[in-house]
Amino acid sequence: MSNTAIELSHVSKRYRLRRGWYVNSLKDEVGRLSARLLGRRVEPRADFWALKDVSFSLDRGEVLGIVGANGAGKSTLLKIISQVTVPTSGSFVARGRLGALIEVGAGFHPDLTGRENISLNGSIMGMSRREIQNKFDQIVAFAEIEKFVDTPVKHYSSGMQMRLGFAVAAHTDPDILLIDEILAVGDASFQAKCLNKLAELKQQEKTIILVTHNLANMREHAKTVLWIDHGQVRMAGDPDVVVDAYLEHMTAGMPAERVGTLAASGWVSHDVVVLGVDTCNEREQPQIKFDRGDVVCIDITYSAPAPVPGAVFGVSILDIHGYPLGGIVTDPDSVKIAAIADREVLRLTLDPLLLNKGTYTLNVYVSDPVLRKYYDFKRKVVKLIVDGPKAAAPDATGYIYYPHHWEQMK
Amino acid sequence: MFETFKNAWRRRDLIMSFAMRDIKARYKQTALGAAWAVLQPLSMMLVFTAVFSLFAKIPSDGVPYPVFAYSGLLFWIFFANVLSGGTVAMVANSPLIRKIYFPRETLLIAVIMAGALDLVIASMLFAALLAYYKITVALSILWVIPLLILQMVFSLGMISLLSAIHVNFRDIGHGLPLLSQLWMFATPVAYPLSVVPNWILPIYMLNPMTPIIDGYRRAILHGKPPDFGALSVAAILIVICCGVALTVFKRAEGTFADVI
Repeated sequence: MSNTAIELSHVSKRYRLRRGWYVNSLKDEVGRLSARLLGRRVEPRADFWALKDVSFSLDRGEVLGIVGANGAGKSTLLKIISQVTVPTSGSFVARGRLGALIEVGAGFHPDLTGRENISLNGSIMGMSRREIQNKFDQIVAFAEIEKFVDTPVKHYSSGMQMRLGFAVAAHTDPDILLIDEILAVGDASFQAKCLNKLAELKQQEKTIILVTHNLANMREHAKTVLWIDHGQVRMAGDPDVVVDAYLEHMTAGMPAERVGTLAASGWVSHDVVVLGVDTCNEREQPQIKFDRGDVVCIDITYSAPAPVPGAVFGVSILDIHGYPLGGIVTDPDSVKIAAIADREVLRLTLDPLLLNKGTYTLNVYVSDPVLRKYYDFKRKVVKLIVDGPKAAAPDATGYIYYPHHWEQMK
Repeated sequence: MFETFKNAWRRRDLIMSFAMRDIKARYKQTALGAAWAVLQPLSMMLVFTAVFSLFAKIPSDGVPYPVFAYSGLLFWIFFANVLSGGTVAMVANSPLIRKIYFPRETLLIAVIMAGALDLVIASMLFAALLAYYKITVALSILWVIPLLILQMVFSLGMISLLSAIHVNFRDIGHGLPLLSQLWMFATPVAYPLSVVPNWILPIYMLNPMTPIIDGYRRAILHGKPPDFGALSVAAILIVICCGVALTVFKRAEGTFADVI
């Protein structure tokens, strides 16, 4: 028996784009047909290739991660694998029972109770009545809805619905499990529960396909990562290599934002203008890639036509998703903005850099904290790549490195 | 077609779950609940009795007209409800169809099952009517079973075709109530087959529902077997129609999620 769980070869998927293509009406078709019969030119239907010539295979017990920008074709790929839709060309084979966590709770009926929905959803996913009965208590306990089992699902909170959906799907005991972005929802404790379940399924040698924007999860769980770009496989292989390349690509467009997306909004006054931000090492050489512990110099070039008393410069460090990790501001007494004709450079030195491996971006702004106004605000103005022997060392996780030592107390 | 039925049997738990969902959802938050299953044929029977029997004096083959009408309506309403519920079944379940794979025909069979429960409930009033009018039924009533099976196979064929078209062309949803009403008057529901003029019979009998509805009446009210000649023609038509319809349905199924 073959060890291949999933095999796609040259799979392509075309969608027809028409005005209101999803609700056709017979009138439309009759119109097109009669126009053609009368010899009039019919506007060709626009085609959209959601997937183009995608091939890959996945062995039993492997975990595959799929990354890609929104609209790259990840969902279409999952739809083909889960057999919700058929490919326009190419072939697809899956061996084993398939479970999908694509949109949890899609099968819920709002008027039915939790109990009724568990058996409905379970049977949609291919469980027999006996299997559902046997696992009923486990599912209810996992979803933490013991008190509301006999309440109609429409009265559930969205968190409860989601938990119930995940609980049912996770207990269908599939051979191949598709997980689409479910790890991003739910509160922290439920996320931890989901991750534990994922680890448990991994241990049981289930074949898993994971789609998530949480790249840390991807690095941790996937054995192979597939990067889909504009419907095609851009890269496939080792998670770290592919995720890094993907991040590099996703942040490559950043210099275009140097102009500042907020500049035109009137939100900033431009009494002080940040002209550019550059990073270099302590030897004054421009550099964007640093290891943890390195000295990082951040040079902010700005101009101010008139003196601006009370102005404060700020730099915030963001993770790859744009969440702020921390910020540093100047003291208005020590950095004074005097009127200058052309340009001036302000240097921020991080010594040492205490970030772990990853790609970070910086927001740079000039504001007046007393007047609560911004003079300038440059979003994601520069990129900071942290990698190297120290940054990638296994003694620390997360974004921030804490200088530390361990000691065993007697 | 055989393959479809084998598959359906394997997923019988799913079919029952869908049917239970349809039934429960239909009667939740209703004051009258399952009484609606009786009210529909009952009210139509009363209207038909007034219009066709009192005003128009339509004969009813020696059976009291209310029983006569109800015997036809009981089964016709089953057919019509399956037709209307089944045609929209794919679109009504579009969240499911867009997200999860399962054999789509299970939704159609579930509609038939849920309709069958209404039929059973409505039959209780029928039994009461028979008792009230002191009509005794003979053993020939057992013919109802094969007739019902034939009717359900025909319904399945019709709704697999109509629902597949409905996914692409919502026009079907608008046209169906009209079609179903016209079809009822082209079938001996409100009037007996005996009043249909001879010259039109060759065409009239091509409607597979004609010998089926007529067959129920013969078996229940007259203690006679159905008209086998007409019924075998209908059976052949039904099997061909169902086979073609299911093939079309299974072929279209793969792209339901894209266009729904």
